[in-house]
Amino acid sequence: MTVQPASGGVASGPSPSGLADVIDTILDKGLVIDAYVRVSLVGIELLTIDARIVVASVDTYLRFAEAVNRTDLSESGGTGLPDLMKDVSQGQISGKSKDVAQGVLEAAGEKLSDFVGDSSEKETRSRRHDREER
Amino acid sequence: MAQSAKAADAAGPEQRTQSTGVYVYGLVPEDVEVSSDARGVGDESGEIRLVRHGKIAALVSDVPLDRALGTPDDLFRHEALLDATAAEVPVLPLRFGAVMTNAEAVVDELLTPHHDEFHSALEELEGRAEYVVKGRYVEQTLFREVLREFPEAARLREEIKGQPEELTRDARIQLGELVNQAVAAKREADTQTLVEAVAPLAVFTVVREPSHEQDAAHLAVLMETDRQGELEEVMNEFADRWADRVEMRLLGPLAPYDFITARTAQE
Repeated sequence: MTVQPASGGVASGPSPSGLADVIDTILDKGLVIDAYVRVSLVGIELLTIDARIVVASVDTYLRFAEAVNRTDLSESGGTGLPDLMKDVSQGQISGKSKDVAQGVLEAAGEKLSDFVGDSSEKETRSRRHDREER
Repeated sequence: MAQSAKAADAAGPEQRTQSTGVYVYGLVPEDVEVSSDARGVGDESGEIRLVRHGKIAALVSDVPLDRALGTPDDLFRHEALLDATAAEVPVLPLRFGAVMTNAEAVVDELLTPHHDEFHSALEELEGRAEYVVKGRYVEQTLFREVLREFPEAARLREEIKGQPEELTRDARIQLGELVNQAVAAKREADTQTLVEAVAPLAVFTVVREPSHEQDAAHLAVLMETDRQGELEEVMNEFADRWADRVEMRLLGPLAPYDFITARTAQE
């Protein structure tokens, strides 16, 4: 059983170990039985979840750019960036643009959570396990 | 050699037809017991039992072969059993999906020929388990840091702002690439900081691949379970030090998934 220390502070909430943690941990780690057993293996179909992240793809870059573009600098305590001044001085417009930004943020948030959370549904596909061919 | 498999801790007759296999979760010392509420993988979720040979045993359950394995429930049960075991006794976890024909085959082909190797690995793991340390950057803080530290990123952001998406693709890719490099550099530095912080506690440490683009660190640590409190203290220090910057999580005790493959590869 995966236990998160109850001492607080470390985890942001008492969330149990999620599917993403399990996938990270058991799918490509541990002893490989094929290395020990040849004859008595049973080829069973495995649903595999391809949770590998291709870092440094164009998709990653576009996602990062999107995230940076929606980053709110106004809470950064003054960085001297030009748009910080603009946001402060244009009170009325920033109220309006906040709604727009909100929409963008929600949409992007959905994408990010899809990326990790729903990988089981989106990327689950069945494939014959290689060992079946033995 | 072909000592018959004892279905210890499991009442009831063993049914073996061609439609059923024996799913193997991991290897443990012979002198352990399985709690009766443990459930196995598969729709029938067979009872977990031990197949013993000499000083070692395999944690197994019967599994129907008529459907593919790998549903979220299957994955959770596989890990839950191994982690619950690892909290109490040494365990060598098998990779998900190991199915053998029957309990005799487990004894004859898995346990008997590799008895000494498995046994000595289990002895080495006595009192130890794996812990996984995860840090995830807080998005807004991360990108503010990047924009502050990389004027070129801030410039590109201004250039893109308010422009139609189809006109800014190149600039957005350029910005994203820059941010990706910046995040990777931060991840490397923060990971190194954590590795050094846990080093006094760790028997071994493995830096895992990031599981998310905004991962700050992802480590697996093999250590004495007696020292879990000390690890929690270290994590709490970082949670304070990186408050609003990195969300820290600690998982464990877990079966030593990250340390078994490397071990056998050396042998």
